[in-house]
Amino acid sequence: MVQINLPKDSEIKKGKYFKDKTGSKNLRKVNIYRWDPSTGENPRIDSYEVDMDNCPSKVLDILNKIKNEIDPTLAYRRSCAHGVCGSCAMNMGGKNGLACTKPHEEIDGDIDIYPLPHLKVKKDLIGDLDGLYKQYQSIEPWLKNNSKSETNEIIQSKEDRAKLDGAYECIMCACCSTSCPSYWWNGDKYLGPAVLLQAYRWIVDSRDEERNARLKKVADELKLYRCHTIMNCTSACPKGLNPAKAIAEIKKMLATANI
Amino acid sequence: MQNKEPLSPHIQIYKWHISSLVSISHRITGIINIVAITFICLIASLLILGESSYEIINFFMSSLLGKFVILGITWSFSFQILSEIRHLIMDLGYGFELKTSKITGLLVIFGSLILTVIFYIIGKNLI
Repeated sequence: MVQINLPKDSEIKKGKYFKDKTGSKNLRKVNIYRWDPSTGENPRIDSYEVDMDNCPSKVLDILNKIKNEIDPTLAYRRSCAHGVCGSCAMNMGGKNGLACTKPHEEIDGDIDIYPLPHLKVKKDLIGDLDGLYKQYQSIEPWLKNNSKSETNEIIQSKEDRAKLDGAYECIMCACCSTSCPSYWWNGDKYLGPAVLLQAYRWIVDSRDEERNARLKKVADELKLYRCHTIMNCTSACPKGLNPAKAIAEIKKMLATANI
Repeated sequence: MQNKEPLSPHIQIYKWHISSLVSISHRITGIINIVAITFICLIASLLILGESSYEIINFFMSSLLGKFVILGITWSFSFQILSEIRHLIMDLGYGFELKTSKITGLLVIFGSLILTVIFYIIGKNLI
């Protein structure tokens, strides 16, 4: 269902203001979504003045700086800091991305940081991705091959291997799925761009023998056809992939295949 | 105390871009067009009732509000036509690169304005 307003207990209140204590002239205001599960309060926006003279170039560096030097209670996920693990996916300056690869220079004015959109918040910038992982599991993202031999290599031509380019690089950070309005309103049934891109990845894998079964499985009004080519997914993907095109390719296969 | 987990903000904070704007406008103009077609059918059937009802329609159409409605409907249909063509091309699997989708989106927006003027001029000169 389309729900424009946030529920009452999710409305955002004004939070604390952390004034700069370093005396730096090069300050930027960073507004961060905060929610503490141990209190009964609504989420709030805390503002921090951050000394940019002593801060490296990425949004994650700002968050680390705030956690280390200003407010240790801030909670967020991060791990590799090189855009490979997908942990630090969040909404920065109104767009989803990885905090570790997003330069803060690209954001004009105050830097607004929110958790990934339309998720249950666990704490501060940490969203609950259980639903997405369950959907990922539902497309059975592993090779299905009936070959009896376990020692023989399954040969793949260079052309067939090239079909996986642009699909296998996905790190499942959920930037795309949580940027999609269709996924916001129908996330319980619609699989969303991240999972559909992975479904596509297994459908086009020449070594997989369950292609038709896989296609049949996603051929569903709600699972697949809720994609209305809004293109938020492609525009959000921090790895430069194109889930919207992959979804269109699945639709095309279904329209032309005889299954 | 365990608090109920809040829902993170979504449409309130997410930045709009050309493609998402065209997509939402496509839906809105679609709804407008259904109402408009009903409205046009109503006018057409009113004409059967004779001169007096024609006078009423004519009065409404020549008023400022009437002109706005006519222009609005013309734009709405122009937008829908171009946006639908864009969607058809996308259904064939083309135009999914970010830059291309932005250009086609802009073409739809500006094209709909130009098409509105063309339709209006043709309509005005024919009648």
